[in-house]
Amino acid sequence: MALSRRHAMHLVVLAILLVFTAFFFVPIIWLFLAPTKTDGQLLTESPFAFGSLSTLAHTFHRIVTYSGYSVLIWLKNSAIYSFGGTALAVLAAIPAGYALALTHFIGRRVLLAITLVVMIMPATALVLPLFLEINKLGLYGTIWALILPFGFFPFGVYLTYIYFSATIPKDLLAAARIDGAGEWRVFWHIALPLARPIVALVGFFAFVASWNNFFLPFVMTYDSSQYPIQIGLQQLIGSTASFNPANYSAGSSIVVLHRPDLAMAVIIAIAPVLLVFLFAQRSLVTGMLAGATKE
Amino acid sequence: MAIVTFEAATRTYPNSHRPAVDGLDLEVRDGEFLVLVGPSGCGKTTTLRMLAGLENVDAGDISIDGKSVVNLAPRDRDIAMVFQNYALYPHMSVAQNMGFALRMAKVPKSEIDERVRAAAKILDIEEYLERKPRQLSGGQRQRVAMGRAIVRQPRVFLMDEPLSNLDAKLRVATRAEIAALQRNLGVTTLYVTHDQVEAMTMGDRVAVMKDGVLQQCDTPRALYDEPANVFVGGFIGSPSMNLLEGTVGDGGVRLGSTVIPVTESLPIPVGAPVTVGLRPESLALAPAGGGIPARVSMVEELGAEAFVHARPADGVGMAQNAESMIVARFEPRTAPATGELIHLRAKDGSMLLFDASSGDRIRARS
Repeated sequence: MALSRRHAMHLVVLAILLVFTAFFFVPIIWLFLAPTKTDGQLLTESPFAFGSLSTLAHTFHRIVTYSGYSVLIWLKNSAIYSFGGTALAVLAAIPAGYALALTHFIGRRVLLAITLVVMIMPATALVLPLFLEINKLGLYGTIWALILPFGFFPFGVYLTYIYFSATIPKDLLAAARIDGAGEWRVFWHIALPLARPIVALVGFFAFVASWNNFFLPFVMTYDSSQYPIQIGLQQLIGSTASFNPANYSAGSSIVVLHRPDLAMAVIIAIAPVLLVFLFAQRSLVTGMLAGATKE
Repeated sequence: MAIVTFEAATRTYPNSHRPAVDGLDLEVRDGEFLVLVGPSGCGKTTTLRMLAGLENVDAGDISIDGKSVVNLAPRDRDIAMVFQNYALYPHMSVAQNMGFALRMAKVPKSEIDERVRAAAKILDIEEYLERKPRQLSGGQRQRVAMGRAIVRQPRVFLMDEPLSNLDAKLRVATRAEIAALQRNLGVTTLYVTHDQVEAMTMGDRVAVMKDGVLQQCDTPRALYDEPANVFVGGFIGSPSMNLLEGTVGDGGVRLGSTVIPVTESLPIPVGAPVTVGLRPESLALAPAGGGIPARVSMVEELGAEAFVHARPADGVGMAQNAESMIVARFEPRTAPATGELIHLRAKDGSMLLFDASSGDRIRARS
């Protein structure tokens, strides 16, 4: 009796898990299948039906060549903004987190508290004052308007702070100081080589935050040639007939996009993030510290 | 080659009222192996870290060869330190660990290699030079930590309980090696331990600390024979010195109904309370009717000797904070049996007297 009852419980749990898995995976599956179909097929056929490879190739071609290869320009812009922003975020966050965790200076606790507070603040709340600042500095419309704000990455500072406080024994740094290293060399020769996992993690989060950012580039760019892919996607939605029928009366010369094209564009937009994740994951190797000190 | 001098050196941690190290006056002589010993929290590690430059000196001064170092950064003090947990750089090989300080000092690479190799040879770790610390055993890591210190040829070695992470057998072997190595190199060494056996076997002199205050600094022999106060008497020696409550009588010290005669006149009045210190080997069986009566509750037969634990009777009290049993050393196969009532006497000239309130030694012999 007891066994069958446990069995039944297992089945119930399994069923609940399956329902939730399906709930979250169905939209993703739909998204990846959509570009293989025509707009008509998307509406009439089963959501899980596979269209054809030739339709997929056709969709890909349409979206890439759309409006003078705009999608490729946007991807390139996104890459510049994101790599620039990530580099700046890592350059600022890693030393800052290190200093908060392992050195002593006046105001350290206050700075740490401020870091926590601003981490909770939504980034969008700062976009307007940032716009005014960037404008005053004469950087509006330049790539710096989208890179400089990422030098301020409190989440990365906090992650680094946690990592250094938890994994690097203070005696290790004391040993280096006694061995003749100044503060800069202690950081460069000891702390940084041991921080590879956190550099990868902070870099990854900064990259994703920058790549997926919408509101900041929405405010900071004014020309389609400066758009990152996220703003470009919004423009594509505006060009999709079924979402915006008023603009596309019969006989218009503008290329009209359809829903499968939009799905293709979304896949193109998320692909780089997936690639960066695979790259960063390899560096997230732990166990670097085994053997530093005897536990 | 260096002389290290602490002059009224004091360190009080933030948010603490009591100094961790309180007005320390101590000199480590040129080439000397000086051991700082005491119970945990006595300030011995803080003292070491003050000399290393890892702790501030709030008052007083610390100098090396007559020059104050309190305002120098650790890297400018020309000292090397072996940490309790070794603190080896995990991302560097053994050779890189040992050569790091020389690299920081911009010593030419060929010379670094030469000196690392020479130090590795002394410590017998040549075959591990290319390994990472995590690939080494605890004992090997300990040697690398030693190697990192000796490669530098510093003025002073600092060692913070370097043996406490080793197992008992390896600890005894390494103890002798470190002491021999230090004597060969002749580098002034300050060594911290909580283990009084380690202190007694390794140090040229031993400084005993308690609650941030230096109690006594002398050779191991002198500490054992002539402790400055009741704390040093009880801390040094294993098993510990027996501490009993006594009162000054006429021509001797009264323990219950027993009187231990004192030849010199005591500098305290008759009737005053004193603490009587008797080491286990200072006790012997007394003829029936004389001596301190005690009932044997346990016998430790160790082969070469035997320790008898006995509960004192007839109004003889143990001093406050002391053990509740008297421990007496016997030759093997001569120890009394458990449950037996024995009478113990102090061997001539072996009794130590301490002031019952201050704990200071009263200089008089029985």
